[in-house]
Amino acid sequence: MAPPLYIAIRFITSRKRSLFFSMIGVVCGVAFFICTQAQTRGFEKYFIETVLGSSGAIVLSDRFQPRYTQFENIDTSGLVAGNQQSRKYYDGITDPYRIIRVARSFSNVLGAAPVVRGNSSANSSFQTEIVRLEGIDLRYHLEATSLKDQIIFGNIDEFRLHPYAIMLGSLLADKLQLKVGDTLTLAGKDPKAENKTFTVAAIFRSGVNVVDENRAYLHIKTAQSILGKPSDASIIIFRLRDPQRAPQLAEQFERLFNHRARSWQEREQGNLQIFSTLRVSAAITVSLIILLAGFGIFNVLTLTVLDKLREIAILRSMGYHRSDIRSIFLWQGFIIALFGSILGCAFGGLLTYGISLIPLRIRGIIYTDHFIVDWSWEHYVYGSLIAFVAVLIATYFPARRAASVPPVDILRGAGQ
Amino acid sequence: MSHVIEPCLVCENLEKYLGEDENRVHVLRGVSLTLEPGLVHAVVGPSGCGKSSLLYILGLLDNPDEGSLRIGSHQVATLQDEDLSDTRNELLGFIFQFHFLLQDFTAGENVMIPMRRLGNLTIPEMQERAVSLLEAVGLGSKATRPSRHLSGGEQQRVAIARSLANNPNVILADEPTGNLDTANSERVFSLLTKLVRENAKALLLVTHNPEIAERCDWVHEMRDGLIIESRPGSNIS
Repeated sequence: MAPPLYIAIRFITSRKRSLFFSMIGVVCGVAFFICTQAQTRGFEKYFIETVLGSSGAIVLSDRFQPRYTQFENIDTSGLVAGNQQSRKYYDGITDPYRIIRVARSFSNVLGAAPVVRGNSSANSSFQTEIVRLEGIDLRYHLEATSLKDQIIFGNIDEFRLHPYAIMLGSLLADKLQLKVGDTLTLAGKDPKAENKTFTVAAIFRSGVNVVDENRAYLHIKTAQSILGKPSDASIIIFRLRDPQRAPQLAEQFERLFNHRARSWQEREQGNLQIFSTLRVSAAITVSLIILLAGFGIFNVLTLTVLDKLREIAILRSMGYHRSDIRSIFLWQGFIIALFGSILGCAFGGLLTYGISLIPLRIRGIIYTDHFIVDWSWEHYVYGSLIAFVAVLIATYFPARRAASVPPVDILRGAGQ
Repeated sequence: MSHVIEPCLVCENLEKYLGEDENRVHVLRGVSLTLEPGLVHAVVGPSGCGKSSLLYILGLLDNPDEGSLRIGSHQVATLQDEDLSDTRNELLGFIFQFHFLLQDFTAGENVMIPMRRLGNLTIPEMQERAVSLLEAVGLGSKATRPSRHLSGGEQQRVAIARSLANNPNVILADEPTGNLDTANSERVFSLLTKLVRENAKALLLVTHNPEIAERCDWVHEMRDGLIIESRPGSNIS
């Protein structure tokens, strides 16, 4: 063991009370950092998973045709093409299965499903509601979404086998007071046409309120007939291996297919910004706690340097270098940061677990009955990293001061 | 055939100023001294005559403004701070009036501190040497005792053992008995002189105690930054 490390350990363990107070700040700072990040990130991840599971990472919708305006004299350097962003949109997607076949050649695409969308009036024996109908090709839809996992009542095979089966969002089923096996009628687009009767095959819960209280799934052909949609699909939803890369792929899809493509990040920008703001705000608050712990350590070590002036002079008189003295104090900071981080990570993990057990009923943009936490190793690494930076900065100045102490001044003073 | 004894330390015309401007004091005014192995030198003189300043310069803890200093074969004027530290670690041993032990360390650990910096021995070898040095000063059984639990005399003896840890050529002692009662003073001084003579070290002792000074091989009397007289002590043969 290097002599400065050995001396640092002996110095630090001989002052147990100072060590305790220095370390407790780091432990609490790291633990609170982990805990707050686990909560904010947990809710954010749950929201993202829910969004991806219900609406896909990318949604391809209306076809467009770029409209090029005349060349305009923009600047003196020459003529450039004018507003290329101007587009003419055509409702829906024709030949969605060909697009899906091409899109599947992209390594990031795990699944794609065509959807026919439209609104209709649903009548149960008790209630009438406007519902958002989604006509799906079940085989494709199960590959592209988490629908199978979202079923809370009924059986997806019942839906598969019957052309006039329907799946309702849990909140919509509540509003219409329907359960699995009940029937409802849907009004077609043509007011003269007869209403069609559907049997509730399953009830699903996506976790997103707006989906669960409005959405109903039918077979795609049935939906086309009811909604009178001429196009083969209104949208195609894509499931990706790496959803984080959705914006880049959406851009590629737009260029390739000439259809509007929106990533989940673009669609949910508002909600994501709220989560991101909360996370940054929590991180700043807790980093301030760690910074305060750093100030505490700075004070303790500054007092230690003053307290150990004589020892520093003795060590210098015995041949210890200035760098050895600096190392002794830096090692003390390192030891506090190391053990503070380890204990902080353990305490943070325990706190996070405890919080995940707290009952919390949320029925808003997400659906949960308890605190949602995220068990990400990154929170532990970042918490420890912040602690190390704060502690080592707090240690550096007292260490530098200790190294610059002229031993002769101390010895001369102590001898008188 | 004559045998020339190489001196352990030679200083010539050392000059030192302390303070700035009108507060500037000329504390050393050309001090020259030669320390030979096996001999004990005492420096005596009134407070403020420059004894401690001389000791700190010889111990490489302070720089002279003028003059030369050689320790063994090292001309120290040209050495950088780190080399001065290494020279201090290898060739010099310090004993202070207030023993200056690290209070949280055991007696054995205190003795091992210079050895750890030198790094020539393994930990078991260091422990073995620390115990043997403590045995030499009569404290072999107290190697594992925290130094704050030792008496004043015992702590000073640990400081003597520590000063010998790296087997230095020169031992510099600043009033090593100044803080001890008569019995302990006698014991510490006898021990020091015995170790120096047996191991052929050079010892320079700053003291206010005329009895102790007289028992040294050489007595140098300082006044106003100068050695005004160097004479053999009553022990010189």
